[in-house]
Amino acid sequence: MRLPDWLGGPREDTGPVRRLKPTGFLEKNIAGFSGAMLKALATEEYASRDGVLQGLEPRAKLLGFFLLIAASAIAGSGLFLSGVLLFVSAMSIKTRVGLSPLAKRVLPAFVFTFAVSLPVALSAVTPGRELVGAFGVAVTAEGLRLAGFFILRVATMLTLASLLALTTRQADFFRGLGRMIPGFFATALFFTFRYVFILIKSAQDATLARKSRTIRRAVLRESQRWFASRAALILKRSFSMAEEVNMAMISRGFSGRIVSAYGAAPFAGRDYLWIGFTSFVLFLSLGI
Amino acid sequence: MEDLFIVNALSFSYGGNTALAGVSFSVGAGESIAILGANGSGKSTLLKIMDGLIFPASGSVSFLGERLSEESLQGDFLKRFRERVSFVFPEPDVQLFCPTVLEELLFGPLQLGLEEAAAIKRAEELLEMLGIEALSKRPPYNLSSGEKKKVAIASVLAINPDVLLMDEPTNGLDPRAQVWLFELLGRLKGLKKTIILATHDLSLAEDLSERIIVLDEAHSLVADGPAERILKDKDLLLRANLIHEHAHRHGHVIHRHSHGPYSTHDDHD
Repeated sequence: MRLPDWLGGPREDTGPVRRLKPTGFLEKNIAGFSGAMLKALATEEYASRDGVLQGLEPRAKLLGFFLLIAASAIAGSGLFLSGVLLFVSAMSIKTRVGLSPLAKRVLPAFVFTFAVSLPVALSAVTPGRELVGAFGVAVTAEGLRLAGFFILRVATMLTLASLLALTTRQADFFRGLGRMIPGFFATALFFTFRYVFILIKSAQDATLARKSRTIRRAVLRESQRWFASRAALILKRSFSMAEEVNMAMISRGFSGRIVSAYGAAPFAGRDYLWIGFTSFVLFLSLGI
Repeated sequence: MEDLFIVNALSFSYGGNTALAGVSFSVGAGESIAILGANGSGKSTLLKIMDGLIFPASGSVSFLGERLSEESLQGDFLKRFRERVSFVFPEPDVQLFCPTVLEELLFGPLQLGLEEAAAIKRAEELLEMLGIEALSKRPPYNLSSGEKKKVAIASVLAINPDVLLMDEPTNGLDPRAQVWLFELLGRLKGLKKTIILATHDLSLAEDLSERIIVLDEAHSLVADGPAERILKDKDLLLRANLIHEHAHRHGHVIHRHSHGPYSTHDDHD
């Protein structure tokens, strides 16, 4: 094997590179998304604690949370939503999750909701009694009330969904879901959740490989082309992986319908109590 | 010895790219065979065809006298085939798709109609045998590569197949996990299981297989015979890109000898 001469020769002077502020927008976003997915997949710490919700039968727990989320979506009263929010916060303590982990999980989505709902408070979107204003733009009392109510509704629903995710082992979640909706949909959802993580890891590796060979900020067109090519590659990889997973299932006897173990356990008293309570909350929301 | 598989003039291509060209051989019950070949020689494709996952463009594969095809792999024959033949994929992430390790082990037996209690018993015994009871409730994607491989192998052993098709079984395994795999396969051989490994790991082939089939880079079968004879055929291994010639200097003396990727290092010329 003959190595090219330049491989062992002195390094050529390729000129200075202008110092740029580190941005890494793409890397940060992919890494952030990947980290969030990993957290979602790996967090079973709270679900395995001995708390008041952890012991519920998965179907009963899921059904109860769906009823509470539905009640929060229907309710027209801020007081009612505050009550549900207070209840979920109290439950986070009784489930030994704690307020802080719950808040950390909800906060990013809450900030996003806050940002997108701000324009609702402005007179241009919601006319009404002006509270403060400058340069022809004013915040109205009606707008503020509307934005506040929207944020409260979203915060309540987010907190409910987060407490459900934190207190339920992923396997139980999909098992419970599989008994409430057609098994095919639950399986498809589980597979999406399971394999999207592997594909995100590929995307993350691709951005790191690019970063390791990049010293200048790429022009927009080049970045777009690179991003499109990676997206196409990941799509191709996802097809190939889907095919392989299908083969792995067929090889172990899958013939179109998944037979799973552990038939649904009968509901215990606390399961009925939970469903009864959450149904009552839903009933209340209809009248408020 | 009863013929389990008869592979006859098998050819397969992906689009216009040939993966297998006129491959023929047979596999007897209880045999332990290594299919050796360089990357891209068609080993994985051959195993997938033997597991009835893909079907050849020409030629045929028969299992216990019945030709494997989309039409034949139905009903009773499909059940009988899947109960007796299992495939360990090279990439455990592909094979591990259930929410927990225990459910992964239960998947195969339950799909094939085993009673739930019997399936759970099998799974628990396998977890104990492999020393991975502590993993039973964990999601498979959180495991290390070695643990994933153990679970992937356990997931097919739970079916209690007579034939194990294993594609690059030592892929991504650290030395300790490789030793574990060698021991396990040795024990399975002792149970008269038919083991067909696709690998380019010559040490695995040497230790576990009595017979070796070699595919060359033209995707054809170039050798089929006792492991001892094949592994001594340096020209054949060089031609099939399974070892390479290596020269290095000791003082004024140039040594020229062959190297395999993991193991072989024959006498100096």
